[in-house]
Amino acid sequence: MRLIFTPVLAASLLFAAHARADDTLTPLHFQSQGTFGSYDKAALQRGFLVYQSVCAGCHSANELHYRDLEALGFTPDQVAGIAANVKLADGSAATLDDVFKAPPVQEAAFGGAVPPDLSNIVNERPKGLEYVYSLLTGYPAAAPDNVNLLPGHYYNLAYPGNQIAMPAPLKGNDVAYADGTQATAQQEAADVSAFLAWAADPNLDTRHAVGLRAVLFLAFLTIIAIASKRKIWRESV
Amino acid sequence: MSTDVKASWVSARLPILAQAQVFFTERNLAREAPYLGLLPALITAALVFMAASGLVLSVYYNGGQGFSSLQFIDRDVSNGWLIHAFHETGTTMIFGAVFLYLFRGIFTRAYKAPGELVWIFGVAQFALLLLVGWLGYTLTDGAVSHWSLTTSADDATLLTGIPGAVATWFFGGPAGEGTLSRLVVFHTVLALAVFAIAALHYAGSKAIAPKVSGRQAVGFHPYYTSQYFVALVVFALIFSVLVFFAPHLGENPLNAGPADPLIVPAALTPPWYLAPLSAVQSVFPGIYGGIIGVVAALGVLFALPWLDRSGPNGRAGFVYKLLVVVLALDVIGLALAISAGPSAIAGILVLVFTVWYFLHFLVLTPLVTALEAE
Repeated sequence: MRLIFTPVLAASLLFAAHARADDTLTPLHFQSQGTFGSYDKAALQRGFLVYQSVCAGCHSANELHYRDLEALGFTPDQVAGIAANVKLADGSAATLDDVFKAPPVQEAAFGGAVPPDLSNIVNERPKGLEYVYSLLTGYPAAAPDNVNLLPGHYYNLAYPGNQIAMPAPLKGNDVAYADGTQATAQQEAADVSAFLAWAADPNLDTRHAVGLRAVLFLAFLTIIAIASKRKIWRESV
Repeated sequence: MSTDVKASWVSARLPILAQAQVFFTERNLAREAPYLGLLPALITAALVFMAASGLVLSVYYNGGQGFSSLQFIDRDVSNGWLIHAFHETGTTMIFGAVFLYLFRGIFTRAYKAPGELVWIFGVAQFALLLLVGWLGYTLTDGAVSHWSLTTSADDATLLTGIPGAVATWFFGGPAGEGTLSRLVVFHTVLALAVFAIAALHYAGSKAIAPKVSGRQAVGFHPYYTSQYFVALVVFALIFSVLVFFAPHLGENPLNAGPADPLIVPAALTPPWYLAPLSAVQSVFPGIYGGIIGVVAALGVLFALPWLDRSGPNGRAGFVYKLLVVVLALDVIGLALAISAGPSAIAGILVLVFTVWYFLHFLVLTPLVTALEAE
C-alpha cells in the first residue's frame, strides 16, 4: 500500500509546492469525503489555527490532546511549541499530554446557552461536515422580516429552528494563514470544518488504507475459494 | 512408535480425535446444500469474533464513564478504534445473518415437523441476541442510548410482582452511575448464553438432517470445508466493506455525542437491528406495553410451527411465498418508519405495519396454508 501511495504522496507534495489551498469552495467539497477520501493536512493545519484562534475561546474539545496534533503533519517540535504557548488555568504551560484547554464556563455569556464540546461535533450531526460549514457560513446580513428573534439570538440558515445563541464567529481575516491562502470567512469555515472532521474521526486515513487492502485481499480470496470449491465438487461425481 | 502409544493413551481416555476424524471424513452428508443453509455456522463464527473483540473492549471499558472510556479506546488505545469498529459492525453482520435466517426459515417452512424445535432454538437465539444487542447499545453511553436505558430502567421500577422483582434484580433500580457496570456483566453473560443456544440449534439440526449413504453421500472434508470457506470469505468481504467504509451504518448520528441527563435528543431512534421490534413496541401503550409488544412480536415467531395449518405433507404455494416477501417488506417498513423520527405519518405507518405483522402470523398464515394444502 505504501508503494501505491508513494507516487500519490509525491504528486501531492508537488502540487503543494505552490502552497496555497486549491479552491475547494466552488463547489464545496472536502478531500476526506468519498470512499477513499483522506485528510488534506494543509487544510487541517489551517483549520486548527482557526479553531485555536476563534473557536477555542468558548468551546472545549475534551477528547483531544496536544500530542494528537502530530497527525496534522506538525513536527514534534512544532506541537511542543503549540502546547507551550497555551497557558492553563493554573498559569502553567500545557504539555503534550494535556487535553485541549477548556475555556472558563461563563453561564451568563450566551443567555445560558452552553457552547457544546467540539470533539465529536461532526459525528453528532447528520451530514456533520456540511452541517458545520453551513452553520458557520449561514449567517445572513439580516434576519427575514417575518422572523422575531429571541433576545440574544441570531438568525442562522443551518441551525435547527434558525435561531442560534452563537454570534457569527468568522468574519474573514480572523487569522493570517502561513501558506498564503486567502483567509475569507468561507475558507476559514471550510478549513475548521475539515479540522473538526479530523477531530471526530482521526483514524479515517488508516481506516481507508487498511480497508482497501483488506477488501482487495478478500476479493481475490473469494475468487480462489470459489474456484477451489467448484473443482473439489466437480471431482466428487 | 511412541506417537502411537500417546495417541492410543489419549484416545482411550478422550476419543475426541477419532470423533473429529469421523466427523470430517465419513461420507454421510447430502450433496448440494445451499449456501444459505450455512447461515447458522456463519452466525456462530460471528459470535466467536464478537466474543474475541468484546474481550479486548472489556479490558478497557469502564462502566462508570462509558462514553469517555469508548473515546479512550477509539483515540488512545493502540488499534482500539479498529477493535471497537469490529465489534460495532460485527453486530450488523450477526443481525443481518439472523434476520436472513429467520426470513429463509419462514419462506421455506423450515419450521415444519420435524423442524419445530430447531426453529424455536433459532427464534430463541434471535430473542437473546436482541437483548444482548440492546445491552451493548446502552453501553455506548451515547446521547440517545442513555434515554433508551433511562426509560427502560425507570419503567421497570414501576413493575410489581415477579416482573418487578426480575427488573429490580436486572437494573438495580433507576438508571444511575452504577447501571452500566452492571449491564456490562449481563451483556457478557447473556452473550455466552447465546453460544449455548447455538449449540442446541446445532445438535437439533444434526438430529433431523436426512440420513444419506452410498454414492449419494459426501464427506464433510473436503466438500463442505471448501463450501464453508467460500461462505466465510464472502461474509468477511461484506464485513470488511462495512467496517472500513461504512462504520456507523444504521446508527442514529445523535448517539455519537455523550449522554446528557438534561438533554433529550430530537430523535430517539435505535440502531437498525432494534428498529423493527422497537416500532412494534411503541404501538402498545402503558408501562407493560413495551413488554407486551416484545413478547407478542416474538411469540408469534415461536408459535409459527403451529400457526401453519397445512398439515405434515402440505406444500407451500405461491400466495404463501408472496405473503412472506410482503412480511419482509413490512418489517423493513417498520424499521424505516421508526428510524424516520417522530412525525404523524411515521406514527400511522408504524401502526399499519404492526397490524399487518400480526395479521400475517395470526390470520393470513393459518388461512393461506390451510387453503393451499387442500
